[in-house]
Amino acid sequence: MRVELNELTKRWGNVTGADNITLDIRSGEFVAFLGPSGCGKTTTLLMVAGIYKPTAGEIRFDDRVVNQVAPKDRNIGMVFQSYALYPHMSVRQNIGYPLKLKKSPASEMEQRVQRVADMMGIGHLLDRRPAQLSGGQQQRVALGRALVKEPSLLLFDEPLSNLDARLRLTMRSEIKRLQLDLGITSIYVTHDQVEAMTMADRIAVMQEGKLQAYAPPNELYERPRTIFIAGFVGNPPMNLFDVQVLREGERLLARRQNLEIELPPERGGRAAGKEEIIAGVRPEDISLIPGAAGSSEGAQGEVFVVEPLGRDNLVDVRIDDLHLFVLADPRQPLKIGDPVRLHFDGDKVQLFDPETELSLLWT
Amino acid sequence: MSTNLTESATQPLGAGRGRWLLLAAGLVLVGCFILPWLSFVITADQRVALSLTGLQAATIGLVETTDGGLLYRSSFWLFLAPLAGVVGLALGALNLFPGRSAPWQGLLALFISVASAVAVWGAFAASQEVAQKEKVAVEAQWGLSVAFIALLLLLVGALILLREASSQKPAFRAALDALNFMTPGTVLVIVFFFLPAIILFILSLTDLSSANFSEPWTYVGFDNYKRMFSDRFFPKILRNTFQYVALTLLFFNVGLALLLALLTAHVSRRVGFLFRLLWLLPRITPSVVYIVMWQRIAQQPPYGILNQFLGWLGVENQPYWIPEAPWVFVVLVNGFVGASFGMIIFTSAIEAIPADLIIAAKVDGAGDLALIRDITLPLLRWPLLFVVTYQTLSLLVSFEYILLLTNGGPGLFTTEVWALTAYKRALQTYFGSNQWAYGAAWGFVLVLIGAILSVIYLRVFRFNDLVQEPKIDVL
Repeated sequence: MRVELNELTKRWGNVTGADNITLDIRSGEFVAFLGPSGCGKTTTLLMVAGIYKPTAGEIRFDDRVVNQVAPKDRNIGMVFQSYALYPHMSVRQNIGYPLKLKKSPASEMEQRVQRVADMMGIGHLLDRRPAQLSGGQQQRVALGRALVKEPSLLLFDEPLSNLDARLRLTMRSEIKRLQLDLGITSIYVTHDQVEAMTMADRIAVMQEGKLQAYAPPNELYERPRTIFIAGFVGNPPMNLFDVQVLREGERLLARRQNLEIELPPERGGRAAGKEEIIAGVRPEDISLIPGAAGSSEGAQGEVFVVEPLGRDNLVDVRIDDLHLFVLADPRQPLKIGDPVRLHFDGDKVQLFDPETELSLLWT
Repeated sequence: MSTNLTESATQPLGAGRGRWLLLAAGLVLVGCFILPWLSFVITADQRVALSLTGLQAATIGLVETTDGGLLYRSSFWLFLAPLAGVVGLALGALNLFPGRSAPWQGLLALFISVASAVAVWGAFAASQEVAQKEKVAVEAQWGLSVAFIALLLLLVGALILLREASSQKPAFRAALDALNFMTPGTVLVIVFFFLPAIILFILSLTDLSSANFSEPWTYVGFDNYKRMFSDRFFPKILRNTFQYVALTLLFFNVGLALLLALLTAHVSRRVGFLFRLLWLLPRITPSVVYIVMWQRIAQQPPYGILNQFLGWLGVENQPYWIPEAPWVFVVLVNGFVGASFGMIIFTSAIEAIPADLIIAAKVDGAGDLALIRDITLPLLRWPLLFVVTYQTLSLLVSFEYILLLTNGGPGLFTTEVWALTAYKRALQTYFGSNQWAYGAAWGFVLVLIGAILSVIYLRVFRFNDLVQEPKIDVL
């Protein structure tokens, strides 16, 4: 089923929960609403679910406006961070509850509950109470309950946030796989950008009730349209710092005290000559050379902190008053205080106007 | 397992000082209390008592009367006290042999202490009376100090045993800790429930009334109870009580309360709050004022509000409604007060239901009625149990509104409930002849009914099921 949000707005008095959200979700698409706490993603989700009535705008399922349709008539399944299992019902009754409300015949109900439970790998737990299950098992039950009535839209409200890190990885791929197999249009609310990046076909980044961007994960990563997106998407986060962009003969340079990055002309053109620009470089786009080599390009700094991540070392390099995070080869022996030289990949540098907070490359 | 066995075999509990102290204290008890008591019972000769110490005399309840004879005062609990001592001692002695588990040793030692304390208490109370008679005064004091020393020994012995026990068994120590946490509640229940109930029971076995309160009480056994059960209005009162409790509970204290809570929880918070506030008014109105208001409502025209309305509707010659339909008013008057309690409890319980559960149910396809039926009400099981139990008990013992409204009438026993009868017999009879003991019998049976009902409720609501089982963390 296709979902369309048209200038959707929710206000309580002068508090705005969601502000003019417009986006469309293709049938079978997996869309993530990404943003920090209080950015309006859950508000938007609850409007789609029919729990909140929109203050303005419309919600369309396929071509039908559903603003006035009660949640029970929207044929949606929903999974919560708290699992929201009915504590007084067994797993069987929990999963079967949507069918019971549809007044499905008992035999059919039994069959479908068993099938969904088997699919979720909890077929042997049907007679337990939710309190007797682990977090992961509870989340599977919740998923089973959302799926059992074969909804045309699945809503996830931070479903993995209460699980431990390892289980989160497993469930992440399971949910993704399940969604692909079943082809159910899905909206997935999360504040975890890794979850959004790995699972979603498209990500709607939200901040303070507003939709900041709506794009596939790699586009968000490669072409952040605002400073907020640049800083929010990606782990470890992008380094953002003030520079001046100057033209020196043929060359275009981004400079800040002792730091210098050569920019390709097509990238830096719009920024050229501006006094204040915010540059963004991802930690993996900076190379780190130990020692105090003579070249004037890049920047000279010293190691402030080394955080071993296993595959890489995340190195905090201090250049005067600026701290930059750099991903380095863990085989490089680095100690705190070691002098290092940084080289920047000019083709990967993002440039933003500090006034408008918009990208000077993609807007 | 095997190491545990060897440990307990080589170091039996009570092997140290505790065991000998208990034994010594037990012997003193036997000497002071048991033997004379037995000899008295066996010979049944009151003169034997003359040769006993004052303490012993006190224990068996002998008091010298003014005319020189001995009055056999059968304050039965004075008999119970040494009896409890014997039982405690016997049980304790069993466990003075090695090989018993630590908790039992400690608990039995405690039991002995408590039993002895009861014995000494009884003896003390009686010996106060005895001590007033010259002949035995000195001896009574002496016997009392012996008993106190014995008690002290017992307590020290019990404490040592408990300490040894808790050092041996961590589980037992944990149990002791748990008991410690319950101490404040336990003390309150004992002081304000068990002791009054026991005193009530003791009172009910005597003939104490305003006609004879200046004379010593006489133990009359269960005469008061026989009299109560053979009262020709007893079945009527029983039926009335059941009717009163059941109707008020069902329609108001639970039914209306639940309805109000559900309604006020589904409107805006402020409106709901105001509405609930209104329903609290009957509860905070003084009883007499409240009843006068109801009487005004039910008055004959032109005073009664109800009859004024009926008059406008063209219904003429309306009576004073309370004697016409006394039961309707008894239930209404109590129910309007009673509903607010459950309403508040249910409201807070409804508001405590996680919002996610409600959202989940709505998304799952539940309409308002299904939501209430399948989610809200099942999750209110604990508050429901609490309100039903609590309100049953408070309705059982409540009578002041009935007293003020109908005083059990109109006519004979039409709306008289159990608690009202107890009150009238004990404290409100004509000519000031209050039958305290007889009223106590009514009261005590009511206490028993309440206790039994509570147990039944806990069973029916399967209280244990409400305690969450531990999580099994497997995935």
